[in-house]
Amino acid sequence: MTTTSGDPSAQLADGLHRQNSTGLGRLLGGGGVGHADEGPDGKMTATIRIPEDELCFEPGTLILPHGGDLELTLINDDKNTHCAVLPHNGDPKFIWLVNHAKGTASLNLDGPGTYYYSSTTGNDEGRGLTGAIVVGGEVPDEAKLDRPPQPRP
Amino acid sequence: MTDYVDAGQAIPYMQLSAVKGSAPATGNVDYERILDARSEPQNWLTYYGTYDGQRYSELDQITKENVKRLSPAWVFQAGSVGMQSGSSTYSNEASPIVVEGVMYVSGPDGKCWAMDAKTGEELWRYKHASPYDVSLCCGNVNRGVAVGHGKVYMATLNAHVVALDATTGEKVWDTTAGDVRAGESRTVAPLLVKDMVIVGSSGGEFGTRGCLDAFDAQTGERRWRRYMIPKPGEPGSETWPDDGEAWQRGGANCWVTPTYDPELELLYQGTGNPAPDFDGAVRPGDNLYTDSVVALDVNTGEIRWHYQCTPHDLWDYDSTMENLLFDAPDGRKLLAHADKNGYFFVLDRTNGELVRVFPFVDRITWGSITPEGKVTPKVYPDEEGVPVHFWPGPAGGKEWTHMSYSRQTGLIYIPVQEVGATATRRRREFKESIPYWGAGVAVDLEDFYGFVSAVDPLTGEEKWRWRNEYPMCASTLATAGGLVFQGTPTGQFVALDAETGEKLWEFQCGSGHHSSPSTYTVDGRQYIAVPTGWGGWVEGFLPGLLGAGAGDSLFVFALPEY
Repeated sequence: MTTTSGDPSAQLADGLHRQNSTGLGRLLGGGGVGHADEGPDGKMTATIRIPEDELCFEPGTLILPHGGDLELTLINDDKNTHCAVLPHNGDPKFIWLVNHAKGTASLNLDGPGTYYYSSTTGNDEGRGLTGAIVVGGEVPDEAKLDRPPQPRP
Repeated sequence: MTDYVDAGQAIPYMQLSAVKGSAPATGNVDYERILDARSEPQNWLTYYGTYDGQRYSELDQITKENVKRLSPAWVFQAGSVGMQSGSSTYSNEASPIVVEGVMYVSGPDGKCWAMDAKTGEELWRYKHASPYDVSLCCGNVNRGVAVGHGKVYMATLNAHVVALDATTGEKVWDTTAGDVRAGESRTVAPLLVKDMVIVGSSGGEFGTRGCLDAFDAQTGERRWRRYMIPKPGEPGSETWPDDGEAWQRGGANCWVTPTYDPELELLYQGTGNPAPDFDGAVRPGDNLYTDSVVALDVNTGEIRWHYQCTPHDLWDYDSTMENLLFDAPDGRKLLAHADKNGYFFVLDRTNGELVRVFPFVDRITWGSITPEGKVTPKVYPDEEGVPVHFWPGPAGGKEWTHMSYSRQTGLIYIPVQEVGATATRRRREFKESIPYWGAGVAVDLEDFYGFVSAVDPLTGEEKWRWRNEYPMCASTLATAGGLVFQGTPTGQFVALDAETGEKLWEFQCGSGHHSSPSTYTVDGRQYIAVPTGWGGWVEGFLPGLLGAGAGDSLFVFALPEY
């Protein structure tokens, strides 16, 4: 984030991505962008951390190359307790993350699309602890409409 | 710093609830049993109750005389966690299925439950993870499930079809049926016929190519697909521009469950609007098979006949709504269809011949249809930037919510919406997954009302109407107790005398109705089940209540036991 020293509006914009600065929490959808690693069997792995006093997941956006199984490691480096309710076909997955805790979640997601998850304690969700798993790729050919390729935005 | 505390493995969220985790095994529901569903009114085995779409139950414990004592037996409240797609538009639109005391019902955002139909205990739940950014024209909704072969079948927002184990809710198979990047979704209640699951497409406002699919009920493999827009050279292609691309994105989606005649082995599928909805100049011609009643061979998906209700539609007049099957006193096999365009069609369901057509709403300005079926458009958005007002509005005189047919009175009870709209043509180019309407549309915020209309389909005569301040946006249910049940947009669930229309009972459910009630018995006690929760395409059918409270409950009523 670029900040212009002495520029009040730039300072306000910069504060959108910090706690109790411009707003009360940080704006949703900020943070870094990460990519899941894909193993030879097609299974994907990734790690997401909760940094100290930032009330966010990092990376805030995790990109999967395609739908399938994801083994997610979650690490809470914060000095407060959080949790995560994560998207998963069948039922969301829940994990409680006390201060300085580490756990895992096995998730299955169809592609493509964006799946949000959050820490559902207090108002963690509103303060910034809402992350996204974005599944890329296309649906299988047999699921596509029988028509020539169409323009996209 | 010490080592991390081991937080372990994330667990299914339902483990932190009172969900039992399993449902009792019921007797097998197969094709033969659904064929004869009317003989076991204690159950509601299929979406419409029976294949003919009559939404009529032979149960008669709840009568005109005792209905005033009808009371809630139990209430289920779904709730939600986290961010869900269309989070301001979710609605409970399903019709609960009941088999031997177990209820199976779906809700918004990929949710499905099995419940004890007597107590409301949650036996199992399933939630399909739905992308937040999936294209949805008309809200985060699902109209129900099919049950059979030991499985529960559900379509999902991201255009999958899943089969769940009926006793555990565990996924048995999962088939990708459509392309979310093309703006497709699935919201329809599947229909189980023979060893197939019939599922139609959603995505009519995104320029898709509508289709109806049949999947193998055991494996999920697709048996056949019937596109409702013909390719160049196929029958019907002459109703599309020769040199254009219009057919590729022509619409005609199949987002309401078909009815079925097992003797003729024909499915009766209503098809959706052409795309773009309001800009007909880019698609000259009648645009088959949009806005049509289409009869398909259930074994092959071949089209046997069709009847187009609104050729070259310019008002978003889908004909997706149900095709109710009934027989005339002389045995003639008929089909009744109350269309968005405000006209009620009675067809010979063996060949599609028009038997009669008549208006069932008060205000029709878009055009007219003669008793012989000749369609004359009068008012439509054909000049760029010029607003045009018309009745009925794009949600129609009746939208997808269903009418019912009493086998006692011979009347059909239609939920009617009297709402107009203004469309202003605004041409736009097509891009996959972006709404493709070709107009700006504002549905009237005033001058609306509604009613339940009791119509004799043999004559077209309206026998009675029960008028309401607000349009009727939920399905009716007729019973052998001489009653018609109807939910209102303001939350009342009412029982009407099927012969006179007199209101005999009402209960305020706390949120508007936009679903299809069903009825069943457990241990000899009759129940009426109705999902509630105002939402869906409210800006289309009743924007005057866009600010009304939402909800996602299921109310079940019965007579007191003492």
